[in-house]
Amino acid sequence: MILRSILLVVALAFGATALSGLTLAAADDPVAGQVPGQSLGSSSDADLWRAVRAGQPQTINIPGREAAVLIQSEGENWRNIRNGPISMIGGWLLTGVIVLICLYFAIRGRIRIEGGRSGILIPRFTQMQRVGHWFVAALFILLGLTGLLLLYGRYGLPYLIGKDGFAVLASAALQAHNLFGPLFLASLVVLFFTFLKGNIFSKEDIWWMAKLGGFFGGHASSKFYNFGEKNWFWMSMSLGFLLSFSGILLDFPGLLEDRYIQQLAHISHAIAAIIFISVGLGHIYLGVFGVEGAVEGMTTGSVDANWAKEHHDLWYEEVMAEKAAKSGGK
Amino acid sequence: MTFLELTEGPFWYVALVVFTVGVAWNIIAILAMRVRDDSALPRKSPVGGGIRAIFLHMVPHGGFFSRTAYHVIVGYLFHFGLFALLLFGSFHVAFIEKWTGLSWTPMPRWGMVIAAEIAFGGLILMWIRRWTDPITRQISDRDDHIGTGLTMLAMLTGCFAMAAASDGLRAVHMLSVELLMLYFPFSRLMHAFTFIFSRYFMGAAYGKRGYVP
Repeated sequence: MILRSILLVVALAFGATALSGLTLAAADDPVAGQVPGQSLGSSSDADLWRAVRAGQPQTINIPGREAAVLIQSEGENWRNIRNGPISMIGGWLLTGVIVLICLYFAIRGRIRIEGGRSGILIPRFTQMQRVGHWFVAALFILLGLTGLLLLYGRYGLPYLIGKDGFAVLASAALQAHNLFGPLFLASLVVLFFTFLKGNIFSKEDIWWMAKLGGFFGGHASSKFYNFGEKNWFWMSMSLGFLLSFSGILLDFPGLLEDRYIQQLAHISHAIAAIIFISVGLGHIYLGVFGVEGAVEGMTTGSVDANWAKEHHDLWYEEVMAEKAAKSGGK
Repeated sequence: MTFLELTEGPFWYVALVVFTVGVAWNIIAILAMRVRDDSALPRKSPVGGGIRAIFLHMVPHGGFFSRTAYHVIVGYLFHFGLFALLLFGSFHVAFIEKWTGLSWTPMPRWGMVIAAEIAFGGLILMWIRRWTDPITRQISDRDDHIGTGLTMLAMLTGCFAMAAASDGLRAVHMLSVELLMLYFPFSRLMHAFTFIFSRYFMGAAYGKRGYVP
């Protein structure tokens, strides 16, 4: 009992001494950037660390790009934007588009060929156009899936397959994404030139837009491409090229001297990708499921005459007029 | 035994045996086929015609270039890309050295990336043609699509494993390659070996008549 009491007193004494030391240390705050006591050298300049944190380059005597910057502060901003607003708004946008498509399908259903199939086929897309389209489509799906996994995978997959499993999956997705990116750029160039003809805006587009494309009833006349398709063409081209060029910068980081440009490229890449995928979902829905007979133009190259009459009546009339002229000429 | 050990051990042996025996069996069977005797006097050498046909059909010729250009160009892109990767990819060179002791200088990483881009581009374009060209679609069957799909799978898993980030990705690539090897001898993928025999046979038959188309 006596021994315990002695030990308690000794412990309290040591504790009190330590606390008083801490109090003394706390009392000696840095003054004008100088740390008192000179325990770590003649001075420890807090301004220096503030400059480091602000990402300002310091003086160094070793070679190396970016070596003079100890902390690249814009990196923190980039990370917060990517994992914050881009992920959140992008997620809501993608979800909203899927919900809208489902709602539209529930209300409007599949747009059938009203007159039924005539059995008469009209050539619509050439083999070159179909190949170009499906090449881009295949890459769009591969890049879209791997890109979404890289952006959103962290929010769910680690809980399903563990952190290590997700790391492996993300590594695989990144490799595929980086590899297919340059192919996408090449395919976009081909697609641009094969689909440019007919995609220039014209006065018929105003009437098509005024009737909301006939998607909510009524008939909207159009030539080979309607206003919606033309918009999709120009949007996919501009977003596609933005994605490709920003992707190339990310694929080959050595191309740039400045890391800040890479971070901007990454942010613009993510924003463009989310918009492209969102609008692309609408295109896929209308092309494959939403409008009866539309996908055949891109799979077989021909569409039913009644489909052409209902969706692209001005083009249909042109085709018929050409046909009549040819047969009349014989 | 880990998944990787399984795919680089027992699975690999089984796939290698099936592939080797299957390919050899097919080639021996073709060579052993009896060709009906042709007693007509040859106008020119059938051997010369056969050899000429092998090389002549490696490049587009005749009046059909515009119709054959697509699959000739795309086909070459795919095959060159694939064989460059297969023979000069650093991981493949290391794998070959492990099993045979033979080694040569592998491609740099940027070379692998370019070869992979070319191979993937070629394969996707060839597969798209199978679906979109009315005639090619008619003459393509399940075997063509399974063969193309397995080749695509092997290349895709190889691409996934390019960073050498985990044994799991390497094992998945090995497994997909083994599936391809198991399917290979029983499919039109055998054209990798038999194209020489078929070209020679046709070339010799025509060469005997004095003309190789």
